Amino acid sequence: MSTIKKIHDMLSAKEISCKELTQQYLNEIEKSNGELNAYVNVTPETALSQAEKVDAKIAKGEEIGLLEGVPMTLKDNMSTKGIETTCCSKILTGYKPIYNATVWDNLESKGAVLLGKTNMDEFAMGSSCETSYFGGATNPFNTKHCAGGSSGGGASAVGGNIAAYALGSDTGGSIRQPASFCGIVGLKPTYGAVSRYGLIAYASSLDQIGPITKTVEDASIVYDAISEYDPKDSTCQGRQKGLTYDTVNNDIKGMKIGIAREYLEGIRDDVKEAILNATKVYESLGAEIVYFDMPALKFALPVYYIIACAEASSNLGRYDGIRYGYKAQHYNGTHDMMCRTRSEGFGDEVKRRILLGTYVLSAGYYDAYYKKAQNLRGTILKAFNDAFTNCDFILAPTVPMTAFEMGHAVSDPVETYLTDICTVPVNIAGLPAVSIPCGFNAKGMPIGMQLIGNKFDEATILNAANMYEKAAGENFKDTKWGVKL
Amino acid sequence: MVTREDIENIAILSKLFVAEEDLDNLTQQMQEIVEFADAINKAPDSGEEFDNINNLSNVFREDVVVPSLPSEEILKNAPDQAEDHFLVKNHS
Repeated sequence: MSTIKKIHDMLSAKEISCKELTQQYLNEIEKSNGELNAYVNVTPETALSQAEKVDAKIAKGEEIGLLEGVPMTLKDNMSTKGIETTCCSKILTGYKPIYNATVWDNLESKGAVLLGKTNMDEFAMGSSCETSYFGGATNPFNTKHCAGGSSGGGASAVGGNIAAYALGSDTGGSIRQPASFCGIVGLKPTYGAVSRYGLIAYASSLDQIGPITKTVEDASIVYDAISEYDPKDSTCQGRQKGLTYDTVNNDIKGMKIGIAREYLEGIRDDVKEAILNATKVYESLGAEIVYFDMPALKFALPVYYIIACAEASSNLGRYDGIRYGYKAQHYNGTHDMMCRTRSEGFGDEVKRRILLGTYVLSAGYYDAYYKKAQNLRGTILKAFNDAFTNCDFILAPTVPMTAFEMGHAVSDPVETYLTDICTVPVNIAGLPAVSIPCGFNAKGMPIGMQLIGNKFDEATILNAANMYEKAAGENFKDTKWGVKL
Repeated sequence: MVTREDIENIAILSKLFVAEEDLDNLTQQMQEIVEFADAINKAPDSGEEFDNINNLSNVFREDVVVPSLPSEEILKNAPDQAEDHFLVKNHS
């Protein structure tokens, strides 16, 4: 498997040069991106010039870091200086940021090789990647199915071996859900663990950047690298404990794993069966399973949509055709120009969420919706805090189903919102969660489960996820695509 | 109940145009979404006010002066510009 660890070992042992490796990735992108639609912008010059620097260092006999020379990709909502960053929206076409997101500054300084920017639902609003202005990314397990969303391009690229890892962002499941659909690993860190500076905002109190990788060990490597304090993001605290990589191989005997019964209601039988099988694996590793009720979870989905849309309606107020991006050609006066720019530049789902957000924030509805949702947010957090007094982490399905067919998600907004039911509680409470593959359905499509941890306790969930991977590695299956190392 | 007038009013607040032919469909969709959001009003009210999920508190530091981004760089992304400013034409 083309993992970060494997690439690092090969580069260090001079089995392949970084330039050769990068060229292999670029060739494979050329071959398969037509079908996977994972990349919306490929950056060969940036990638090859970085690769040359890494090769020069290796030639001098210097040691290289774990992420140095590893070809990767960024979701197209992370600012990259001089490289077009569109959020896969018409309204940002042509926009070239004049500064880097902190995560990219950080990884670039560690020698990461940027292959390009990946596809996403427009402004990260969607669950199938199909609200993208550039069309949806497809699933490497079966391209008739979607890659999931909103970080669908990153998941498709990693699942399809046309990037060793990707950074995605997760507001209501946008890292974990596509990782689950594409049979790979996706980590949504604790709110505040990773800087959001330069991440184009959707819902600021929920958004968080995290890694999408082939293995749990890789997720741990990337998380450790990006979870640094950043004075440019006033909500960023950075990692609060030591490196998670140091503890991924710890024994998990005696660990208590909680299962909230509400998470198992209304999910497909094949998903439920895979989750129950995973509990058996954990029991064989010496962990104990404890069941409990969490009635507050019932309200998580409407709470999420109210808060996310309210924040989005405010955050997206900045797109007015004056400072950057698309501007309407024909208009009559400033107000008309702004309305036309926004109406022509935003897609349907983005407009729906702006309208809903404006509705719940407007006079007469604020108390009934927004304020009530904020109070319930506290109730949900308290329910999680109570749960963690009785268990080390919570095990749950990532999505109630496997990847839907292309075109399915766009037909009914509310039905599509319901697919986020298992992922949104984590964002509401600001907790970390990692999605890992735990089986396949009868059609061979991957099933994912998530391990939800207490705040800043990424180490526990990555440790438990890694132990599962070691015991049930057959669920981490490679696809036919891309670079084979 | 979400009405056509509600949608027209919210659209004005959102600075979005809704075409006459899309209005019925959008009203219906918003009605469904609002019904779904209404589920929260069935939740028991804990009576507790809550607005700080992420335990944020103010952190103070010394004010350090750093160079600003150059205005010519910032203006490169503007659809229209003139004399070192963003250009907004046709005020009305």
